[in-house]
Amino acid sequence: MSEIIGETESLCPECLKVIPAVKIAENDNIYLEKTCPEHGKYKVLIWRGVDDYLSLKKYACVPSKPNVCAVDKEEIVCPLDCGLCKEHTQHTCIAILEVTNGCNLKCPICFASASSGYKFHPDLDTIRKMYQTALDSVGENVCIQISGGEPTIRDDLPEIVKMGKDMSISYIELNTNGVRFAEEIEFLQRCKDAGVDSLYFSFDGVTSDVFMKTCGRDLLETKLKTIENCKKVEMGVTLVTVVSPDINLDQIGQIIDFAKKNVPTVKGVHFQPLSYFGRYPIVPQDENRTVLPDLLVEIEKQTKGQLRVDNFIPTSCTNVHCDIKSMSVVLEDGSLFPLTHRSMGPPKDTCCIASKTRQEVSDLWRFVDESMDSSNESDPEPGSWDEFIQRAKSNYLTISSMPFQDVWNVETERLRGCCIHTITPDGKLIPFCLFNINSVHGQTLYRHEVFGKYSQ
Amino acid sequence: MDVKFSDSVKELIGERGLKIDDVIDIINTAESSNRKLNDGSKNLAKKRIGEVTIYAVYDDNGNVETAYSHRMVLGEIQKTTDEPDPTNWVCVSCNEKAVIGTVLMTYMGVTRSGPAVVCEKCGDAWIEEYLATKTIAAAEGLFEKKKA
Ligand code: SF4
Ligand code: SF4
Ligand code: SF4
Ligand SMILES: [Zn+2]
Ligand SMILES: [Zn+2]
Repeated sequence: MSEIIGETESLCPECLKVIPAVKIAENDNIYLEKTCPEHGKYKVLIWRGVDDYLSLKKYACVPSKPNVCAVDKEEIVCPLDCGLCKEHTQHTCIAILEVTNGCNLKCPICFASASSGYKFHPDLDTIRKMYQTALDSVGENVCIQISGGEPTIRDDLPEIVKMGKDMSISYIELNTNGVRFAEEIEFLQRCKDAGVDSLYFSFDGVTSDVFMKTCGRDLLETKLKTIENCKKVEMGVTLVTVVSPDINLDQIGQIIDFAKKNVPTVKGVHFQPLSYFGRYPIVPQDENRTVLPDLLVEIEKQTKGQLRVDNFIPTSCTNVHCDIKSMSVVLEDGSLFPLTHRSMGPPKDTCCIASKTRQEVSDLWRFVDESMDSSNESDPEPGSWDEFIQRAKSNYLTISSMPFQDVWNVETERLRGCCIHTITPDGKLIPFCLFNINSVHGQTLYRHEVFGKYSQ
Repeated sequence: MDVKFSDSVKELIGERGLKIDDVIDIINTAESSNRKLNDGSKNLAKKRIGEVTIYAVYDDNGNVETAYSHRMVLGEIQKTTDEPDPTNWVCVSCNEKAVIGTVLMTYMGVTRSGPAVVCEKCGDAWIEEYLATKTIAAAEGLFEKKKA
């Protein structure tokens, strides 16, 4: 039995031509199927569970427009005329600002293909313009992720951060491998003082062999040292874990346990199913993929049901099949108490949720703070609601995931609603997946084309 | 009883997402059943309506002073101490002085305790305004306000 349940467009993995694609339901799986007139047919697994896939649509966000469209064209061909264009249906929630394509590592798996070929190293003036691009498009409450390559290889990183804060960027997170922060706590302190709000810290597993596979080096001790240093300077951390059935799918539960033990320094774990763009070791087959439902089932299994599939909800910020999130309080006995559940239904006010999710967590605690009677905060009665609230404020954990799209599984439907955008030096904002997607020959539509022009 | 609201009380009730008609209903029910607290000048009545418990504070002439609510479900009173803190409230149906006690409150499957005005004779419990609008609102907010 196979049934077409949707139509979209995709790209040819060989030649990057935009080609029509259909979503097919078959044996309770969903596949994306597409044919390039020149290079033939491709079929790739994108979801397990047809009912689940369809039911998530109730979480769809109310579309919103970017404040400005850098691309002004009558006839748009998505995704070739990107930047954003008038057909885009979501504004920017997180803008990614890459400050280098260099790195102090050379991982076998790297979406940015860092440390190879040309050198992209924008000067402060260019970076100022990139911040401005985000400010112009978003307006207020701008959230920036400084990324790369590895941003910490730039000695002027604190200046870059301070510049952003001086330009009234509200939130800056730093995407880092943490190696320099393990070695130089002073540098970490300086970044914090300059205004870094949290680290988006790659942490792929709890054993050395995982790092041998993802980074080509045993980085376990270094990673642990980074967390220790973050604890010392009180820097919040989200652990970012690439997930692959060939590498670490069996460690998910242990990673969540590790996170729990390191709350409140660790604020969350973000699982990133390995997507095949940039530098990656193989041409993927379906068995090399972790689709979102696979990940959630593993989380339920490996946390022994402390977190269940139903505790995960789309953020209603981007396309409903792009992300999923749960929030829990870590209780006194170390168990997780989830605050999110699908039975609660979609958020009431999806129309403004995009701007809210940027600072969702801080908003939540601000709300709690405002509702609390500060006078009786001192010594809450054990087992009381008072104590629960006190604990919830400092001991919560967010578990989230966003499976990026690669040239095989990309759908323009998802790209059009994307809210995570890479800023280009020429004033554009490009959906992160799209920015990075490359053909089997290494050709990109945007990354190397754009950064190559601004390289040294 | 002719229930009356000043403009500012009406506004407060609206802000708290409550309905005037529900508040009137609570007061009428309390007056006919005598299930309420009284401190000599004002009354505290409560009623579960749908998913919320709503409270009304009003004087003997029916002037409503305030109204508030919580979603949590009140459970058993936990052992009060040998000498519980007294209150000015009297449980009208039992003619018994109410005291400050501890009750279990359940929300979304979680049960925790909190302070309440309790009548040790009939075992009924009333949540005071400060708690309903602060701690309990915050706890409910954790579950309710942000879902994603
Ligand atoms: S992804 Fe969005 S901005 Fe880019 S071309 Fe498509 S609709 Fe336009
Ligand atoms: S994955 Fe990160 S740490 Fe590894 S080479 Fe790429 S940018 Fe550097
Ligand atoms: S970056 Fe990719 S996966 Fe994330 S929201 Fe955008 S299109 Fe979806
Ligand atoms: Zn082709
Ligand atoms: Zn009584």
